[in-house]
Amino acid sequence: MSLLRNIASGLRSLFRKERVNQELDEELSGFLEMAAEEKMKQGMSRKDALRAVRLERGNLEVTKGVVRSVGWESVVEGFWRDVRFGVRSLRKSPGFSAVVVLTLTLGIGANTAIFTLLNAVMLESLPVPNPAQLYRLGDNNNCCVMTGTQNDGSFVLYSYSLYEFLRDHTPEFEQLAAFESYTADLSVRGPRDSAAEPYKGELVSGNYFQMLGVHASAGRLLTPADDSRSAPRMAVMSYRTWQQRFARDPAAVGSRLSIDGTSYIIAGVAAPEFYGDTLRSDPPDFWLPLVWEPEQWRLQSTEVEWLYLVGRLKPEFAPESVQARLTVALQQWLASHRDVIPQRDWDEIPRQHVRLTPAARGVEQLQTDYALALRLLATLSALLLLIACANIANLLLARGSANQSQTAVRLALGGTRGRLIRQSLTESVLLAVAGGVMGLYVAYAGSQALLLLAFRGAHYVPISVRPSVPVLLFAVTLSLATGIVFGIAPAWMASRSNPADALRGAGRAKGERSSTLQKSLIVVQVALSIVLLAGAGLLTKSLRNLEGQHFGFVTDGRLIVSLINPEAAGYTDEKLPALYQRLGTALPQIPGVLSVSLSTYSPLEGNNWNEYVYIEGKRPDYSETPPSWLRVGPHYFETIGTRLLQGRAIDERDIPAATHVAVINDTFARRFFPNENPIGQHFGMRDERHRADYEIVGIVEDAKYQDTRGPAYATFFLPLLQVPSGEPLRGWVSAIEFHVAGRPENIEPVLRQSIAAVDPNLTILKVQSFGEQVALNFNQERLIARLTELFGLLALILACLGLYGLTAYAVARRTNEFGIRMALGANRRNVLGLVLRATLAHLGLGLAIGIPAALAGGHLLAHQLYGVKSYDPAIFGAAALVLAASATFAASVPARRATRVDPIVALRYE
Amino acid sequence: MAEKPSDLVQGTLDMLILKTLELEPMHGYGIAVRLEQMSKGVFRLNAGSLFVAFQRLQRAGLIRSEWKATENSRRAKYYLLTDQGRKRLNNETREWGRQVAAIARILEAS
Repeated sequence: MSLLRNIASGLRSLFRKERVNQELDEELSGFLEMAAEEKMKQGMSRKDALRAVRLERGNLEVTKGVVRSVGWESVVEGFWRDVRFGVRSLRKSPGFSAVVVLTLTLGIGANTAIFTLLNAVMLESLPVPNPAQLYRLGDNNNCCVMTGTQNDGSFVLYSYSLYEFLRDHTPEFEQLAAFESYTADLSVRGPRDSAAEPYKGELVSGNYFQMLGVHASAGRLLTPADDSRSAPRMAVMSYRTWQQRFARDPAAVGSRLSIDGTSYIIAGVAAPEFYGDTLRSDPPDFWLPLVWEPEQWRLQSTEVEWLYLVGRLKPEFAPESVQARLTVALQQWLASHRDVIPQRDWDEIPRQHVRLTPAARGVEQLQTDYALALRLLATLSALLLLIACANIANLLLARGSANQSQTAVRLALGGTRGRLIRQSLTESVLLAVAGGVMGLYVAYAGSQALLLLAFRGAHYVPISVRPSVPVLLFAVTLSLATGIVFGIAPAWMASRSNPADALRGAGRAKGERSSTLQKSLIVVQVALSIVLLAGAGLLTKSLRNLEGQHFGFVTDGRLIVSLINPEAAGYTDEKLPALYQRLGTALPQIPGVLSVSLSTYSPLEGNNWNEYVYIEGKRPDYSETPPSWLRVGPHYFETIGTRLLQGRAIDERDIPAATHVAVINDTFARRFFPNENPIGQHFGMRDERHRADYEIVGIVEDAKYQDTRGPAYATFFLPLLQVPSGEPLRGWVSAIEFHVAGRPENIEPVLRQSIAAVDPNLTILKVQSFGEQVALNFNQERLIARLTELFGLLALILACLGLYGLTAYAVARRTNEFGIRMALGANRRNVLGLVLRATLAHLGLGLAIGIPAALAGGHLLAHQLYGVKSYDPAIFGAAALVLAASATFAASVPARRATRVDPIVALRYE
Repeated sequence: MAEKPSDLVQGTLDMLILKTLELEPMHGYGIAVRLEQMSKGVFRLNAGSLFVAFQRLQRAGLIRSEWKATENSRRAKYYLLTDQGRKRLNNETREWGRQVAAIARILEAS
């Protein structure tokens, strides 16, 4: 009641200020009059009476002020007054304000842009109800299809049979769903389409959508009833696909689509914001029931592990106890299924367990992949903002000393220090907020650019860069904090000025304190800048080393066509030879093509198959990672530019009926045949019975197919169609390599036509130059390097600005000192030296602090670097040199001005 | 810069103002004069403390004000005790009595 009255009364004073003031005036003057009348009755003159009253009762103007400052509204009013005063004084120095706001815009913008990504990737939950109830069975991102026990005993990939067992024996879950660990490329063709188009698809268990709690935008989502071989084939479409392919036509629901050559009915469309169980670029466009797994062997085999499991825990159960129960269930299942575990893994069985991890953010793939990069960038941008703060604090300090006489007058007239600090801080915060508002624009554009840089090559990334509530909150908090950080020191300094000194000195005597602070800020700035510059140098050189390394193939003039598995176009094992034959005949005839080859996958496209080998006359070795393998057609090595070291390459002779052969790489040769000639030796896959399957006929140089930083994997290459008798063909062609004359991009249209002429059902996933395919492997490194370069450049500019400002300020302050010196015979060189010496001292001190800090930073970066030492002297030298040269130049501009001082003018100058 | 009355004075001043208003509504000057008369000149109040106190009491809902004509047909703001103010005055008077008695006992004992 009383609070309400207080607020109402306060608001009345704020908004009907005139009226309230008038009343107070009237009341007080009434008071004065009445008191005076009393005195006049005693015989005083009116004038004397009024003065007597004033002496007795106090000055009425002061009283008014005191009465007005009683309520809370006076604080609001004071704040508003500060803001208006702040705006006015900032508008008086537009150049200063513009520089500060621009600096802050960049600083806050960069930080907010990175926070936008950080928030979207690391912090936001899946767009489903109660995401905190979701838990995943497994704690890493092992992919995609495997057998046996799992890394470190933590089960991540599950067979369908094991999934069913766990689902039926864990009542603690409301639902436990299974889904493929990766998205598959689908070849999708509508009834009226002339050719199939590539889309992304994911196989999910029937209860997947119920478990997540996703609702349908149109039609219905999958249910357990759809996940049955007796049900019609149903598919769920993503909202984005519905929008882009069907223009949100409601008739799309219930229509038929041919997916990988089989007809499906569209059951419905998922919610607009739903992107699946994993935040990733190019998320699924279609979700299909597990039961329609195309190859069938994965679903029916109790041996093949290929599913991720996520469940919604009932609220009453604690994850720890459920985790223990799941491990018991897993052990129970393994005990009764020893036969499906390869013998080599039997010792590992007792160590197998389930780690239940929170899955509010789904399967944390991007989170894991980008955690390091984002954290690094957040640190770097924070560093940049700190530099900006130091710079602005310095500008404010210089401005503060310029305003010192004003401050002194205000103090002398009775302004309190608290009041002055408040005023000064209000100005800083105003600047910061202006910078923050503009920074939001920079952040919006910046995060879009960041997404493009980070996900180069992706068609769609389900990350929104539109400023969300957390992002806005972040920007506001950051602006306020920034304003206080850079404003507090200048505010404090200003309030400490002694009115008497300042008034007496008339702007000449300056406190040494503030200039010490200014100098330390410059030193800090230089030190931080060298850290950023050296970091930028290291990361850039590392990226250049990565991209320019010898990969074991040549990218110039090479083009890679990625196909969707020809099975989708209705091919069977029997029809493949004819397809390969036709491709091999038609494609080399395209004008400009020098050579063509087919393979199951191509280098650095993200694919890697590995399998244990059994070598004739040797004991099987399970101690190291199994070697990688792929199937390649004739001319493969010459097409991608891998050199043959010994023997022969795979060629037209290697048909199914001929001797089965293999080509191995150098690492394979050195690992398995350390002291003998591998040519003529035999080996095979699967088990010991197969050890004579393939004869080694050639050795090629090492080439990197998967890991760009480590050494090449031991690899063997098999002909396209040579399969041990009685075995199914594993390894279908999904890449075509071209070596062309001229620019590879120019040939793309012709190439698409030629492939369509061979078979219009072959779905081309993408056509890209080999160089681009390799470049996509360095997206993260490039993101970090480019941003660090940008930040380094900004830091350099800021440091130069800072030194320029400090020197200019010093020169202005010492103008008449220089005048005296020159009048006494100092020449221009002496004066120039005098000014520059001070600057160089700051620079030197900054470098002396900054270089060890940069070395420590480099040490932290060491595992990110490739082919460059974290203390690379050339980079550190160059960074220091660039900084020193730019800083000296920045300082010499105002220093030169000092030398042009006319002694006569300077001495008159006050 | 505004001289702050000590806590005791501040609290007491509020109570005294309420007391002067107990009988009839009064304007600011009237209250000042009445307080001086009743205290036999011990309290000579400056306008600042007085009007700040009015403002404070009004916000707390203990008094309210209205504009009326004085006996000299001048317009003045009259302050009135509210029910709440009356209750507070009674409580404070009682509390004051208790405290004074207690303090007196202590002072006499020593």
